[in-house]
Amino acid sequence: MCGIIGCVGRGTETLDTLVEGLGTLEYRGYDSAGVALVDDDDGLSVVKAAGELSALRERLADRALSGTVGIGHTRWSTHGPPTDENAHPHLDCTGRVAVVHNGIIEHYQSLRADLEATGHEFRSDTDTEVVPHLVGKRLADGETPSAAFRGAVDRLEGSYAVAAVVAGSRRLFAARNDSPLVVGLGGDEPTLDTADPAFIASDVPAFREHTPHVVYLDDGEFVTLDDGITVTDETGTRVRKAVETVGWDPEQTGKSGYEHFMLKEIHEQPRALRQCLSGRVDELRGAADLDLDLTAPTGVQFVAAGTSYHASLYGAELFRRAGVPAQAFLASEYATSPPPLGADLVVGVTQSGETADTLSALREAARRGAETLAVTNTVSSTADRECDHTLLIRSGPEIGVAATKTFAGQLAALNLLTLGTVEDVRSRRAVLPALRDLPGDVQAVLDSSVASTVAETYRDAAAYFFIGRGLQFPVALEGALKLKEISYEHAEGFAAGELKHGPLALVQADTPVFAVVLGDGERAHKTVGNIKEVEARDAPVVAVTDGQSDAHLYADHVLEVPETHPRVAALLANVQLQLVAYYIADGLGRPIDKPRNLAKSVTVE
Amino acid sequence: MSVTTAVVLAAGEGTRLRPLTRNRPKPMLPAATRPILEHVLDALVEAGLQRLVLVVGYRRQRVQEHVGPEYRNVPVEYVTQYKQLGSGHALAQAREAVSGSVLVVNGDHLVEAEAVQRVVDRFETDDAPATLGVIERDDPRGYGAVTLDGDELVEIVENPETDAYRLINAGIYVFDETVFERIEATPRTAGELALTDTIERTLERDRVSVSRVGGLWVDATYPWDLLSVTTSVLDHDRVNLPERRPGVWVAESAQVHETATLRPPVAVAADTEVGPSSVLGPAVAVGRNATVGANVTVERSLLDADTRLGNGVTLVDSICGESVTVGVGVTVPGGPADIQVDDRVFRGRRLGAVLADRVQVGGAATLVPGTLVGPGASVETGATVDGQVPENGRVVR
Repeated sequence: MCGIIGCVGRGTETLDTLVEGLGTLEYRGYDSAGVALVDDDDGLSVVKAAGELSALRERLADRALSGTVGIGHTRWSTHGPPTDENAHPHLDCTGRVAVVHNGIIEHYQSLRADLEATGHEFRSDTDTEVVPHLVGKRLADGETPSAAFRGAVDRLEGSYAVAAVVAGSRRLFAARNDSPLVVGLGGDEPTLDTADPAFIASDVPAFREHTPHVVYLDDGEFVTLDDGITVTDETGTRVRKAVETVGWDPEQTGKSGYEHFMLKEIHEQPRALRQCLSGRVDELRGAADLDLDLTAPTGVQFVAAGTSYHASLYGAELFRRAGVPAQAFLASEYATSPPPLGADLVVGVTQSGETADTLSALREAARRGAETLAVTNTVSSTADRECDHTLLIRSGPEIGVAATKTFAGQLAALNLLTLGTVEDVRSRRAVLPALRDLPGDVQAVLDSSVASTVAETYRDAAAYFFIGRGLQFPVALEGALKLKEISYEHAEGFAAGELKHGPLALVQADTPVFAVVLGDGERAHKTVGNIKEVEARDAPVVAVTDGQSDAHLYADHVLEVPETHPRVAALLANVQLQLVAYYIADGLGRPIDKPRNLAKSVTVE
Repeated sequence: MSVTTAVVLAAGEGTRLRPLTRNRPKPMLPAATRPILEHVLDALVEAGLQRLVLVVGYRRQRVQEHVGPEYRNVPVEYVTQYKQLGSGHALAQAREAVSGSVLVVNGDHLVEAEAVQRVVDRFETDDAPATLGVIERDDPRGYGAVTLDGDELVEIVENPETDAYRLINAGIYVFDETVFERIEATPRTAGELALTDTIERTLERDRVSVSRVGGLWVDATYPWDLLSVTTSVLDHDRVNLPERRPGVWVAESAQVHETATLRPPVAVAADTEVGPSSVLGPAVAVGRNATVGANVTVERSLLDADTRLGNGVTLVDSICGESVTVGVGVTVPGGPADIQVDDRVFRGRRLGAVLADRVQVGGAATLVPGTLVGPGASVETGATVDGQVPENGRVVR
C-alpha cells in the first residue's frame, strides 16, 4: 500500500504541493518517498529517498528542483526492500517517463522478462518499474504520450492506481483499477472543463488544502490533467463524472494539542458516537431508523480484516442472539476459500472502504448472489459504491494507524443494524437508552480512567493476555491487537473459557491478564472463575468491569466502566483497553501513530 | 487589521465553581446550550481575528477535544500552562506562538465581537504599547476597578472595598510585541504573575490607552451564576439553534413531543428528546442528547449534555452537569437559600440544586433549596437532601 499524488497548474508551488500532500498521505505508508517534476524546458527531474518523508525533505533541501507538472509517492514495501532504488517515481531507460503506482501488478515478471529481452534495463526490484518501460517503448515507437500511457496500462493485470508524467508534455496521466484514486478540481465551482489547478491522489486529504471539489474515479477509467480534466473509460469514450464536494477541513488532520493522533482520536469517541447515533435513535418511540432499504435477513455473513474483523465478531454475535444465524469471516480467507453462502446478506466492515481483502470477499459474495452491505467510515469509497447498501459509521477522519474511534463507531452502528432489522421492541426498549447514554459514558471513562497507572505498572511485562466471553471476547481480541500493533509487545486475546485448554501454560507472574467482566450473569461468573485460575498461577490480573460481579475481589487492578447494558458496556471496556495500549506504547517510546510495518488502509491483498 | 492573533486564556479550573469543574475547566461549563468558551471564540471570529492561540492547562483535553484544530474556519493552536500561576504567566506560555501585536481575552468570560473590535481599533489608532477594554458597572467589588485620565489608564484597583468606582477592567487587552519582555520583568507576587501587574508596571514608564466597551459582558463566579449567564445568553439571542418562534430554540435533531409545552425563553439542543405533557421554561436550556420524560416541569434551570429527567420530575432554579440522572417524581422546588462555600455564607440566593456530573438521584427524592451534590454521588429513592454531598457520596433515606 502506498500513497500517490499529482498536480497540474500549481506553477512554482508544484513541489511544495506535492511534498505537503505526501505528508497527509503518510498514514498509507512511510518507508520511502519521492517526487518527479516536468519543467518548461523539456526536462524531467526525480528526487527520491528511503525512509520517512523527512529524508526526502532533506534531500530536496539542497536541490533546486523546478517544474509545473508533478507526481509524488509515499511507499509501503510490497516488492523489494525500502531503498532509494525501489522508491517511486520510477523511470524508463531514457529518463523521460516517470511513474508512481499503488497496488500490485500480478504478472510483472513476465512483462519484465519481455522488456529485458528487447534491451530494457531495470534498476529496481519493484513491479512498478515495468510501467515506465512499457510507456517508453511505445513513445520510441512514435506513439503520443497519451496513447503510450493507455497502451501500457492496458497490458497491466492486478490492482493499480498509477500516474505518469512525460518530459516535453505538460499533461499528467493516471488510471485506476482496484486501488483508490480521486481527482481534485481547483477553482470556484469548477467543472471538469474549467478545473485549474487539478490534482489526483490516493485520498482526499492530500489536496484538501487546495480544494474540496472532487471526482471519484471508477475501475478501468483513465484521467488526463492539463487545461481541464478528461476522464475516459476502458474503450476511450469520454465519461461525464459528477463533481462532489467533501466537507472535511484540512485542519482536521491536525493534532490540536494532543501528543498523538491516537490519543486525540480516543478522546474524540464521545463526539464520534454522537455523530453515529444522531437522528438514528428514537428512545421515546422505541425505534432505530437507519434509512436503509433492507429487509430482515435470515442469515448473515460478515467479512472483514483486523480491527474490523473484531467488530464483525461482535456484530455476528448480536445477530445470533436475535435468532439469526450469523458468522464472521476473515476477508482474506473468504475471498480465496469461500464458505457455502448460506446467508442472504453479506456485510463487509471496512473503515476505509478500500480494504482490498474485504472488497474481494464482497465481490465474491455478490457474484454468488448475496445482497451486500458495507459498514464503513468513508463516503464514496469503493465499498460504498460497490455494495447494495451502506451503513456509514460517521466517525470522521481517523489518522492514527491503530483504529480506535472507528471501532467504537462500528460497534455502535452494528447495534443499530440489528436493532433496526431483526430485534424486537423489547430489546429496543432495553438497548436504545443505553446507546443514547453511550457518549456520556465514554466521556466518564475518559475523565476518570486510571489506565495510565496500570500501564506504568505493567510496562515491562513479558507478555500480555486478554480474556473475555460472549460479546467481551471480541473486546479481548481487540485489546490485544491494539497493544501489539503499537507497543510491539507480545499480546494475545482468548475466549475466557479457552484459557485452560492451552494458553494457560503461558501464564506466569510476569504476564498480566486483562479480564473483561461485565454484568452479573452466568458469563460474568464463569469469567470470574477463569480469573481465579489465572490468579492461582501468580499472574497479575487487571479486571475491566462495571462492578456488578465480584471480579474486583480477585483483581490486582480494576479499570472501571459505568454500569449500563452489558452489550453496550463492551464499548466502554474497549476504551479502557485502548488507553492501556496507548500508555504502554507511549511509555516504551514507540512511534504510536505510525507503527512499523503497518499502514492505515490496506489496499493490497 | 494589524492585530490578527488572539490569545485566549483557558487554563484555569475556576475553583469557586466546584463541584461543576471536577471534569472540565471553567471555560467548558455551559452558558445555555454551549460552553462559555464557544461564546468567547464566536466574538473573536466575528471581530475578524485570523488566528487563535488557546492557553490550556487544567483538564486541557476537554478544551482541545471540543474546539479541535480550527474554530469556524479559523486555525487554533494550543499551548499548555502546566501550573496555573496567574494570567501573566499564562500569556507568557504563548510567547513562541505569537509574533507582533496580540489580543488577549479570558476564555471564561462572555464578551461580544463589538467590544473586541473597539479595543483593537483603539490600539491601532494609538501608539501606546497596550490598550485595555473597560466597562461600566454599578458595583465594582470583585473586579478590577480602573481610574482614567481622559482615554488613558491611571490605575487598576483590584477588589475595591467601596463602590465609589464606576469603571472596571473588561479583561480585553491588546499588547504590542514588547509584552513578553514586560511580563518577564514583572516581579511575581506569592509565586503568581497577574497580567494586571504587568500593566501597572507599564504605566510607570509608558502609556496604556483604554477603550470603553459595552454589550453582553457576563461571567460566573459561583455555580448559581450560571443561571443568570444562561438567561443573558437567551435574552441576547446568542443561541445558535433554529428559532421556532420568538425565544424558543430547538435543534433540528431534537424531538419534542407534540403535547409538550416550551415557554420562552427556552433552548433545546441536538438529539434531545422531550416527552409528552412536559413543560420547559421560562429560562431553561437543555443540552445535547438529554432525555426529558413525560409530565416533567422545568423552570429557570440549566441541564447539561446527556442528562436524564424521569417522568414527573419538578426541577426549578437548578443546574445539572453532564450525564446526571434524576429519577421519577423527584422534586426540586427551588427558591431562596443560604449557601455556604468554603468560609463564606451567601444568604438568600435563588437556587434549587446543583447536581455535578454523573449524579444519580433516586425516584421521589426531594432536594431542599441550596443543595450542592458532588460528582458521581447518589441519592437513594425517597430521600430528602439538604446541604452538601461530597464526590461519590451516598445519601440514604
